[in-house]
Amino acid sequence: MKHFSEEELIAYQLHERSDEGPISRHLESCSECADLSESIAETLRVFSADPVPQPDLEHNWQRLRGNLGVLTPERSRGFKLLRWGWAWPAAGLATAALILITVFGLHIHRPSETRRNIAVNGHGPLTTEPTDPAIANHLDAAERLLTEVNNSSGALDDTTREQAHSLLLQNAVYVLSARESGDLAQAAVLENFGRVLTTLDNEPPTSHSTWRLRLEMNTSGLLLDIRILRQNDDHSQGVSQ
Amino acid sequence: MSNRRMDKAETEAIRDVLAGDRDAYRLLMERHFCSVTRVAFRITGNEADAEEAAQEAFLRAYNKLPSFRQDSAFSTWIMRITMNTAINLVERRKRDLSYHAPRIADEPSTADHTVRIADSQASPEVNLLNREAVSLRQAAMAELTPMERTAFTLRHMEDVPMAEIAAALNITSNSARQAVFRAVSKLRRSLTPVAGGYR
Repeated sequence: MKHFSEEELIAYQLHERSDEGPISRHLESCSECADLSESIAETLRVFSADPVPQPDLEHNWQRLRGNLGVLTPERSRGFKLLRWGWAWPAAGLATAALILITVFGLHIHRPSETRRNIAVNGHGPLTTEPTDPAIANHLDAAERLLTEVNNSSGALDDTTREQAHSLLLQNAVYVLSARESGDLAQAAVLENFGRVLTTLDNEPPTSHSTWRLRLEMNTSGLLLDIRILRQNDDHSQGVSQ
Repeated sequence: MSNRRMDKAETEAIRDVLAGDRDAYRLLMERHFCSVTRVAFRITGNEADAEEAAQEAFLRAYNKLPSFRQDSAFSTWIMRITMNTAINLVERRKRDLSYHAPRIADEPSTADHTVRIADSQASPEVNLLNREAVSLRQAAMAELTPMERTAFTLRHMEDVPMAEIAAALNITSNSARQAVFRAVSKLRRSLTPVAGGYR
């Protein structure tokens, strides 16, 4: 009898599956899966929505209003696009070149004694040892920061830059830990992320600096690597539990 | 959250704000502040931080209004800003160990800046059980990363579709789905010792 995984049963309980029929039928005949499914349902019941306090709108408006400056419309975007239109094909070529260099670089310079890495050869997690749970939080923060960098059309706002600054020291610690534990693939990805953070922390914000950062540091490729690390991290934590 | 396009009143309010009328922004705040605070509350877990995140989100939205492309609804846009602001606030709070906002606790304490939710109707036994349940839930939620907490609370408590959560968090649908699954799995394991062991 094929049992369903916890993930499949969570999706079932959250009604995230298009094919609920086979699971429903299986749960009627398999007490093991039925127990697990009931445990998930109970968890969802325990964490059902609590009432939310109502904010005082007038008080909040008065507080906000004091901080509002007088705005003016942004200059036409059409002019900017025309002016920088030549750059898009060049940007595409440069990104493709960076991706190729990164991919080939990882394959060629990878030492043979390092542990297997799904990011490189697709054969399992980076490590099977228990990992620091806080790294999950750090990788989440890295993913969101890089997504912001990849999707911002102008200069990054102060909050994002402040976040980059605060992640810098934390990232250095994780690079060191990864190196010390022999996890060179993770160390390499986090080192690249550290370069992005350093650039963000030191360069003055201009409308082109984010765009240049994306090109020069291949933040899209780095984002993919971070996501893979995140998945490997989940996998290794699952193994350890 | 909704993907509906903005109605005429909101479009006009934005136009007026961009023409220099700050007070026109009040209409947008009146319409969306409650839902924004609600989402911020789900992410931050306390009222004071929820209002701070909502305030910050509205201020950031105001300052970014000149670059707001009105091809999406203001509600979707402000919700996206709110989620990011609230997550950043949670991360800042975690880093800033000296921060003591009022928090819910079993026993109120001035030194720890903790408060207790009053319930004059319940019996002492029910009060005790409620306090234990609240503590247990808070401890379990504290184990989640801000992204997991956001994705889980929005999907499960606010019934927001996965695609909208993904769009708001600027991640793929699959990443949002995985964050929700991880959250449920962690929460289940947090509760299991109380429920009597798990497989």
